Amino acid sequence: MTTDIRIPEDLYDGDEESVITAWLASDGATVKEGALIAEIMTAKVQNEMTAPASGKLTILKQQDEVVAKGTVIGQIT
Amino acid sequence: MTIVNERKLTIARAMAEAMAQEMRIDPAVFVMGEDIAQLGGVFGNTRGLVDEFGKDRVRDTPISETGFISAAVGAAMDGMRPVVELMFVDFFGVCFDAIYNLMAKNIYFSGGHVTVPMVLMTSTGGGYSDAGQHSQCLYGSFAHLPGMKVVSPSNAYDAKGLMTAAIRDNSPVIFMFHKGLQGMGWLGTEAAANVHVPEDAYEVEIGKAAIAREGSDVTIVSIAMGVHHALKAAKVLEAEGISTEVVDLRSLVPLDRDTVRASVRKTGRLIVVDEDYHSYGVSGEIIATVCEAGDITLKAPPRRIAYPDVPIAYAHGMEQFCLPNPEKVAAAAREICRTAVPA
Amino acid sequence: MQPSKATLGWMYHNMVTSRKFETIIEKIYMEGKSPVFNMANGPIPGEMHLSNGQEPVAVGVCAHLKPEDIVTATHRPHHQAIAKGVDLNRMAAEIFGKATGLSGGRGGHMHLFDPAVNFACAGIIAQGMGPAVGAALSRKMQGKPGVAVAFIGEGAANQGAFHEAMNLAAVWKLPFICVIEDNAWGISVAKSAATPVKRNDVRAAAYGIPGHYVEGNDPWKIYDVAGQAIARARAGEGPTLIEVETYRLAGHFMGDAEGYRPKGEKDALFAKDPIPLMRKRLEADGTFTAAELTKMEAEAEVKVAAAIKFAREGAAPKPEDALTAVFA
Repeated sequence: MTTDIRIPEDLYDGDEESVITAWLASDGATVKEGALIAEIMTAKVQNEMTAPASGKLTILKQQDEVVAKGTVIGQIT
Repeated sequence: MTIVNERKLTIARAMAEAMAQEMRIDPAVFVMGEDIAQLGGVFGNTRGLVDEFGKDRVRDTPISETGFISAAVGAAMDGMRPVVELMFVDFFGVCFDAIYNLMAKNIYFSGGHVTVPMVLMTSTGGGYSDAGQHSQCLYGSFAHLPGMKVVSPSNAYDAKGLMTAAIRDNSPVIFMFHKGLQGMGWLGTEAAANVHVPEDAYEVEIGKAAIAREGSDVTIVSIAMGVHHALKAAKVLEAEGISTEVVDLRSLVPLDRDTVRASVRKTGRLIVVDEDYHSYGVSGEIIATVCEAGDITLKAPPRRIAYPDVPIAYAHGMEQFCLPNPEKVAAAAREICRTAVPA
Repeated sequence: MQPSKATLGWMYHNMVTSRKFETIIEKIYMEGKSPVFNMANGPIPGEMHLSNGQEPVAVGVCAHLKPEDIVTATHRPHHQAIAKGVDLNRMAAEIFGKATGLSGGRGGHMHLFDPAVNFACAGIIAQGMGPAVGAALSRKMQGKPGVAVAFIGEGAANQGAFHEAMNLAAVWKLPFICVIEDNAWGISVAKSAATPVKRNDVRAAAYGIPGHYVEGNDPWKIYDVAGQAIARARAGEGPTLIEVETYRLAGHFMGDAEGYRPKGEKDALFAKDPIPLMRKRLEADGTFTAAELTKMEAEAEVKVAAAIKFAREGAAPKPEDALTAVFA
């Protein structure tokens, strides 16, 4: 079963774009549900994203890529 | 290599995690500095600490570096284990007496009968136009003066291990963290600094360098950001047939001279990458360490890629002209590898 | 001491110039920093500390100063530089890191030096205290006129250099005034968490000199208190310590999310923005007509636009010029 890692609507205020400043697991790694998985920055504020499920991580958007609310930045299978 | 439950941290998080783990097991450990409580540190390294440990053990201070750093010395001598932050290493001028004359010398003055188990963590580094009083590295200034250990990690694994070791050390340790490696996106990102960090507490031995990359044609020695410049240069050089060994010092005091010498004994060529000022510092010390060994034959004169002996300029083009970077490192490597001993 | 009509016009015009300058700098600073806020990017890289809301302190003090008087300022210097008469074109160019800037791009926004009007600023807290005291000493020794003013923040009053410089100025009876801009915050730390006394004017007693606290970010009140202190200094009666309540309408630096400020605090401050308040009062008491004030604002707009144009059009410095101007 594939779970999308999607930037949630309530991650930060406003609708501006953001950037992935750090992936906290590698592509192909096994991650635990609830574990810190990425840092997303808007302006100068860093927001945290956690893994929505346990399993193998596939990174779709790389560090330094510009993303937005709703963007699927990776998947867990 | 697949790591089960891989958990990468930024250096900022790794530092905070080390402090939290030590604070959980040792009530003597406390943290103080400017904006380190609710803000979690301007550079993210005390994130979450005040929420877990409260304001008594995680203290915001007034802007009084001489006051709170000399207070940390006294507290350390009286049985506490303070972790104190000097927000920018450039600010050491206002409080250096407390650092080099008290913190660093009291163990000696007492003949070893008192200990000073404190950690002074401080941010270093430039490259983002913060100008001459907010961009320095000052490795040499601290490493030169006796009585304080000096460490600076290039990655999150070493950051947590060195911080843990520093807190457990009964001697004073200067923990220098490079702003560009912290993982704060507004200071740029360096993906290679974010590596897997085990959840359990562990130490990285202070005074031991690491071989960040093995090679046989040239040795590049550096610390913190310079290690990443060297690794990037090494990748480029590999495609050109030059095999590069990169030594990550990790500690300036004690300095792992053996590892440096062993590497240059093998390759015969030395480049030092030093973001601090060129003269009277780390780069000269590494070169002297190799030259005085007596049993190392150099195939080419040693080279140093360092910041010139000028204050750091604000304008982007001026600062970048002066800073070490992978291109300068690779160019130096090509140059000294071409001066090979004839077959 | 009450400002004359001409002085009030000068004060208002400079406050507006200052604010318009900060507003456009803020906008340009964000160029190249969106969506990725990397400080190194854009035409104005590095840190940026804006003075929005603190304009009354600059004009209330500098209205009494001549070009020969000395001012040292901090990492938040633009309003004081403007009020002191720093060349706005070259100041803007310096902030843009251009060869046409005050320091040819070497200093940037925290290190603005204009010897023509004896203005300098720097980035270490309380660092301007000693040099201002020294300049005052120099004038006294040379028998030359001039007073020295050091602007610092309320957090700086807790720094060792503050104590030593104040003590020196007092014991040598120097023509020196310390003006503390109390904007209630040292980055994320409230004044009440860092300073055991509510107001720093009481610390003047430690040096045997007069101390004053000015409430309400009021240009008239600041003008009055500063005027008395500067007159004292010019008359050879020694230093004064002044602390002024002011408002930091911007964050500590550009990009500061200010999560540490209590909810509603910022909105309450914007309601007390000193510029519309001054305009209202100048109109209400008949000092100037609406048309006259609007004209002053238009002139400020022109001045600022010209400075930004000068800055943008300036050439970048040659990278190798980073190695020059180290020694005299």
